[in-house]
Amino acid sequence: MNDLVDFWLEHLPAMLDGLLVSVQVTGVSLAIGVPLGLMLALAVQSRSKPMRGIAIVVVEVGRGAPALILLQFTYFGLPNAGLSLDSFASAVIALAWCTGAYTSEIIRAGLEAVPHGQKEAAEAIGLNHLDALRYVILPQALRVSVPALLGFSILMLQASSLCFAIALPELVSQAYLIGSTTFRYMPILVLAGLLYAAICIPATIAVSALERKLGAHA
Amino acid sequence: MSLNSSSIPQADVASRPPLLRLDAIGKTFGTHVVLEDIDLSLAAGEVVAIIGPSGSGKSTLLRCINQLEPPTTGRVTIGDTTIEAGHTPTRRELMALRRNIGMVFQSFNLFPHLTVLRNVSLAQERVMGRTREQADAVSMQLLARVGLADKAQQFPSRCSGGQQQRIAIARALALDPQIMLFDEPTSALDPELGLEVLAVMRELAEGGMTMIVVTHEMRFAENVSDRVIIMADGRIVEQGPSGTVMRNPQTERAQRFLHAVKDR
Repeated sequence: MNDLVDFWLEHLPAMLDGLLVSVQVTGVSLAIGVPLGLMLALAVQSRSKPMRGIAIVVVEVGRGAPALILLQFTYFGLPNAGLSLDSFASAVIALAWCTGAYTSEIIRAGLEAVPHGQKEAAEAIGLNHLDALRYVILPQALRVSVPALLGFSILMLQASSLCFAIALPELVSQAYLIGSTTFRYMPILVLAGLLYAAICIPATIAVSALERKLGAHA
Repeated sequence: MSLNSSSIPQADVASRPPLLRLDAIGKTFGTHVVLEDIDLSLAAGEVVAIIGPSGSGKSTLLRCINQLEPPTTGRVTIGDTTIEAGHTPTRRELMALRRNIGMVFQSFNLFPHLTVLRNVSLAQERVMGRTREQADAVSMQLLARVGLADKAQQFPSRCSGGQQQRIAIARALALDPQIMLFDEPTSALDPELGLEVLAVMRELAEGGMTMIVVTHEMRFAENVSDRVIIMADGRIVEQGPSGTVMRNPQTERAQRFLHAVKDR
């Protein structure tokens, strides 16, 4: 037992470095991906046909292709087209794409949950399209979407472990590296799992609490 | 002021230039004809009640006036803005129209995420360019006018239906509209709460506001409005001074409708 604790303590700094990279790549991907999802949700409902078409393609590819394929496409595929990116940038592009595609559906559901009368009331008091969206529709739609968006964010942190496949030094890569030098895969992978759980379990509990709170005022 | 007669004599109203004109308004949804060839002109200060059976096109007519529902044919003129059916109005035309027309909905449609005060202030800031302080000051006056100044900081969900509808009236008045449209404002309220809304509307009418009221409140139509329009099957079947139409309708369709509602 002592041996295990010593092993974990010895490698904890490297593992925490990895966790930091995981959190960073997830955070940046979400910071780009969620606004992208909002734009896609609006574009999918747009009156302009080309706009709708482009948005649908982006969303369906993002949802249809496994995240691992998107990651490998941006890291190994794009250099063939003359665009070489480091693993962090590739990871952000792929995960932001995936985030945008999935969150656009979450936000679209939120937009559709706002009663039609709200849009009519906003129009009737003379608000233009953008103001109606900004002051009346979106605040209500996002309130509906927030729990699902946070839940998705937790999933993305877990999905960031796929970046191991493109040599990003995140948590799983670190664990694998330590495993391959010490040949003690089992304990180090357990530690990686515990570190994910240390973030994800409290976050999940916080999200359900928030959900109950928002639900109480709906 | 007498509550039983309108504040403006009929002859006086008829001699003024129209504030709102509808020419040959028609609306079809697919092959379904909802409105057919509606002409209507409204003088400043006039209060018109539109009554008629459900599905007669009353609400659609109101919604055609402020282009929530673009008419299929015809013309809407208010002041020097004319909107012709068939081509999409410019943003500026729509703004001009909607700034001049306040609308009150059957289901209130207050913004649930904003306080009562913000509900009334929002359009003043975004559409009229008032500062928040100016807008809030005007909103407080309007809320006082509908008797709800003490609710300013509450959220709409904390207010009764009657209060919500009075707030919605204050919100519609906030743009200083020339005309107010009411789409069955009391239909979603139980009778007692409906009364407080009708009282506010009556005060507005007496204050000289030009109003079109789609309603099932026969007494309001008879006592407060100057003119009553009876619609059926997308057409105006009878119109005239409220007393005459309500007590002595000429057409068979109007008689049938009034007979049915008065028998209840």
